Amino acid sequence: MKTILTIFKKELIDSIRDRRTLIAMIVVPLVLFPVLISISSNMLISQARKAREKKLNIGLLTNGNAEEFRQDLFQRDDVRVFENLTVETGKSLVRSDSLDAFLTFDPEFDLKVGQLEPGNITVYHKSTESSAIEKRRVTRLIENFEEELREKRFETLQLDVSIIEAIEVEEHNLASTKEKLAEEIGGLLPYLIIIFCFMGSMYPAIDLAAGEKERGTLETLLTSPAGRLEILLGKFGVVVLIGLLTAAISIVGMYIGIRQSREIPPELLHAILNMLEWQSIVLLLSLLLPLTVFFAAGLLSLSVFAKSFKEAQSIINPLMVVIIVPAFVGLMPGIVLNSKTALIPILNVSLATKAIIAESITPGILIEVYVSLIALAVLSLLVCKWVFGREGTIFRGT
Amino acid sequence: MIVVEDLWKTFKLSRQQKKELRDTPGGRRDGNVDAVAGITFTCQPGRIFSLLGPNGAGKTTTLRMIATLLKPTSGTIKVAGFDVVKEAQEVRRRLGFLTGTTKLYDRLTPNEVVKYYADLHGMDKALFEKRKEELFTVLDMHDFAKRRIGKLSTGMKQKVSIVRTIIHDPDIVVFDEPTVGLDVITAKNIIELIRDCKRQGKTVIFSTHIMGEVSLLSDDLAIIHDGKLVYGGSYKEFVGQMKGESLVEEFIRLLEEAR
Repeated sequence: MKTILTIFKKELIDSIRDRRTLIAMIVVPLVLFPVLISISSNMLISQARKAREKKLNIGLLTNGNAEEFRQDLFQRDDVRVFENLTVETGKSLVRSDSLDAFLTFDPEFDLKVGQLEPGNITVYHKSTESSAIEKRRVTRLIENFEEELREKRFETLQLDVSIIEAIEVEEHNLASTKEKLAEEIGGLLPYLIIIFCFMGSMYPAIDLAAGEKERGTLETLLTSPAGRLEILLGKFGVVVLIGLLTAAISIVGMYIGIRQSREIPPELLHAILNMLEWQSIVLLLSLLLPLTVFFAAGLLSLSVFAKSFKEAQSIINPLMVVIIVPAFVGLMPGIVLNSKTALIPILNVSLATKAIIAESITPGILIEVYVSLIALAVLSLLVCKWVFGREGTIFRGT
Repeated sequence: MIVVEDLWKTFKLSRQQKKELRDTPGGRRDGNVDAVAGITFTCQPGRIFSLLGPNGAGKTTTLRMIATLLKPTSGTIKVAGFDVVKEAQEVRRRLGFLTGTTKLYDRLTPNEVVKYYADLHGMDKALFEKRKEELFTVLDMHDFAKRRIGKLSTGMKQKVSIVRTIIHDPDIVVFDEPTVGLDVITAKNIIELIRDCKRQGKTVIFSTHIMGEVSLLSDDLAIIHDGKLVYGGSYKEFVGQMKGESLVEEFIRLLEEAR
């Protein structure tokens, strides 16, 4: 045990003096991450606000119809109306983003509406993600107009509007704010933390195995009285610790980033900060521990196999995809934690975290996740021990 | 003392290596290669044993087996009376190992590296401090003891390597081409270290392909080629029975004879 601690202490000092490890462990999650969260959320929210508050530019070709609708548009403060456009000019102005929408009315619109037939309006718009809000606003204007026309028709026919409502649905969503939030953005938290955890483990694992092999210091270390298992456990401990620290620091970074996002509405901010309660964080870190053991064992096995730091990087970097995909699946709606998904590594951590945030996790399924993760961690550690004990691996390329 | 008896080390080759070997004239077809093929020698305490041979002769493999890094395929090695396979840890406790290609931990200081190896050898703190002080003084290392190794010159680094190798005062010291890539001044430190070890009655084995070092240091000599022992005996006897005009000529003659 003393030897393992000696190796652990030395490797920890060596790793935290490594600029690459420090960047992955502290700079990215604690500085870059909050800045990115803050900038991107501020940008997203302010863009959405701009889209909601800006004056809509609407091209109008009524062909002498819908005078009431036209007058209404002219009176609105949030709409600027452009008339006397041909269809082609209107379309080209929409394409060049000069108009948010161009509405053309059927020349027989009023006649058709008068005969209780549907009147045709053609809406030209350029819908990309960013202009979705403008499009919704235009649609709402038309829907309001339709509503007015419908009411007039019912008046003419001396009918009560409510007769078309065969069913009146009264909805009560009993999901708590936490549950709603967990479903909507709860997957994002484990997704980011798992990736940070992997990234944090990556550099020390490469440096402590492939790096040491490349420098030739591993050979010298192996001639010391320390056994191979002791050397492996010392190194392994450091990789696990740095992986977990990176994950924990990324949570702090996320917290700082969210606090700095001035544009987030206070009620949403409060809910998100609630999500980052210490009980949830402790549970998440306890799930991350066996997962980090798995990462560390896998990364060290691959790293010790590589001849050099560069080779280890080229083997390990593509593995990021293997981590991202199951973590990403956890973000998808409809994927829930059950006895099957609880067995899939990474995905189970992602889904369990969502369930923890929603406070809907059951002890049975949580135990299944732990058992599955611990079994995987033990298995990967055994593989790592086997790889580390092989002469062919240790002296590969020398 | 190191006693090596009928030592063999066979490596299994990868598919690609097997193919290349089959394509080589005279290459073996069974997919294995004997890096060391039945060598026997003894290194005595207080004497310097040189292991001489061209590149790929099996010198490093032999030294790695002595240092318990590789397991012999067959044969035995006893280091200070301990078997390298069955009592590997006991062997490593009594062993100092230095290779010319080994670098150090750039982000640690000489103090930290030396302490690390002393701790791995389970050295008593007071004994460690005393020995470190002696070695740092002899090698004039106090000025850079707290600087990061990455910022030291090659000569300074070599001194750190030397202290790291002998901090635990090993009975057996193994040097694998220790002066490779070093300038004359830096190599001199290593030569001095080897001589000091001999003076202190340690068993010293070093591998080289530099004839000058052999003539300068050797008490006993083994020449190996293709994993086999071409010559084994004292350096004096070797010089006495030389047919070539110089060490180099004799060395080449022996290798050609062995082919």
